[in-house]
Amino acid sequence: MSWRPVKAVVGRELSKLFRQRARLLSALVRPMIWLLVIGSGVGSMLEGQQQEGYLTFLVPGILAMTLLFASLLSALTLVYDKEFGVMRMMMIAPIAHYWIVLSKLIAATLTAMVQAILLLLLLVILGLIDINVALGLLPAALLTSICCAAIGGLIAVWSKSIDNFAVIMNFFIFPVFFLSGALYPVKQLPDYLHYIVAVNPFSYGVDLLKHAVPGVSTDFSVTTDIIVLISFSTVAIFIACWRFSRESVHEPLFHRATKR
Amino acid sequence: MVYKTAIYTRSLTKIYGQTIAVNGLNLEIKSGQFYGLLGPNGAGKSTTIHMLTTMTSPTSGDAWIAEQKIADDPVAIRGTVGLVFQDSALDRTMSIEENLQFAAAMYNLSPAEADQRIDELLSVFNLQQKRKMKLLALSGGQRRAVDIARGVLHKPKVLFLDEPTIGLDLPNRRAIWRFVEQLRREEGMTVFLTTHYLEEAVACDHVDFMQLGKLQTGGVPAELIQQLAAYVLEIETPDPENITAQLTPLFGIPIQEDQQLSFKISEADVDFYQLQQTLGDSISSMQWRRPNLNDVYLWNVCNPEQGDRE
Repeated sequence: MSWRPVKAVVGRELSKLFRQRARLLSALVRPMIWLLVIGSGVGSMLEGQQQEGYLTFLVPGILAMTLLFASLLSALTLVYDKEFGVMRMMMIAPIAHYWIVLSKLIAATLTAMVQAILLLLLLVILGLIDINVALGLLPAALLTSICCAAIGGLIAVWSKSIDNFAVIMNFFIFPVFFLSGALYPVKQLPDYLHYIVAVNPFSYGVDLLKHAVPGVSTDFSVTTDIIVLISFSTVAIFIACWRFSRESVHEPLFHRATKR
Repeated sequence: MVYKTAIYTRSLTKIYGQTIAVNGLNLEIKSGQFYGLLGPNGAGKSTTIHMLTTMTSPTSGDAWIAEQKIADDPVAIRGTVGLVFQDSALDRTMSIEENLQFAAAMYNLSPAEADQRIDELLSVFNLQQKRKMKLLALSGGQRRAVDIARGVLHKPKVLFLDEPTIGLDLPNRRAIWRFVEQLRREEGMTVFLTTHYLEEAVACDHVDFMQLGKLQTGGVPAELIQQLAAYVLEIETPDPENITAQLTPLFGIPIQEDQQLSFKISEADVDFYQLQQTLGDSISSMQWRRPNLNDVYLWNVCNPEQGDRE
């Protein structure tokens, strides 16, 4: 197995990212809106010292959001490519089919990291975080990004078409984001929500990012975060690869009678 | 590796749910041949191609490509075959060059090797000037050409073309056939073609017919046509029963479609003018012509019992 096909898949995703300027711009604008609007809005309900604190508290949260959206959407190109036929070009290539999933997930992780780095740069320039904090956030961002790509991979291998996109937004992205502690400390949530947050792997990414920002309260230990992120990602990627290698998943791509 | 047989199958079968898409297929295609698998939509042609290119696995039976068993190493087989899908496999938002570079990388060609090969192929297809153009900006025929170029980037031993001219107009169809012919001549690859435009398969070295998943043995197109008949006589008449009764003793049972009757005529020296006068006002039109592959298909595959003299 050579790395050239993997590089080609990754290269294609990255060049698409830079070509779609609007996508790149919105990846930067969306978190800034959250940070400045929600941060200031909710912050205004808090008092003095706490106000400042909430803005800092939100930084790991919105960075996690950027990673989640970017990674997940990029992993979902597995479905786009199927819909528009490009998947055929990869399926007929002399590589094992699970490499298509792995390449796409590597691409998703990297495109998300590019967007995270641009966001951190913007935050440093605006003076919202210190450069050292930004650097400290990078390894945590990488693990979170892999976890998000793995979630995206799982969704992608089970979705038949991109018509499901609204479903994916409402039933995966939003719950995963809102039930993660990105916007509020988990400890203050009612018990039943607490449990949901605890089974959401993304929560541990958010928590790991929080550990990298001084003065932000965290809910789990760094070790727990890292173990959960790595084990979840490994299992999820393994399942996605297994599912993708089953040919019944691709029959609609080739056999008309099995098309929806 | 030297191999004599490009494609070999034994009892190859694919069942989807209740449907037997391909039923006990036995094929043997020599290396370098231009082979045509003909038949209507839904006959099982595409499924056959997908099994032979590892895109789907057979329910039962075995297949070999270039004397290598497909089931043993599907990934290696994918490096040996080229497949031009019925639907495009290209990214419309990327340029010709980006698409082909991407496909070449999937075959592990270095960018320099790929570049040279893309040059070669684009000049065959007369698309050098459009190299940097997005696929969206190309005509249907040009896009198909790029699809074919993609299928042969890695110089496959066996090229599968699944309905390569579907949806194209006549000049584009002709152009695609010229390209395929040139590729075959220059690279000596075995070509496995499916089409339901039967007249396009005349250039094949051998054709077989497929219907409802079953293979009906064909032969060399020119010989099949010659064996079928000397002429095909088509008569339009308001009274087909009467004409059938009159002519069946002479030419055998016709194929009837509403008011149109087709007879196949083996004798080369039939006096059609005499016949026309005999039939007189009972027919509204009459024409005779040389048979083609469509006739072979209609008579031998769809209506094998017709044509016998009673």
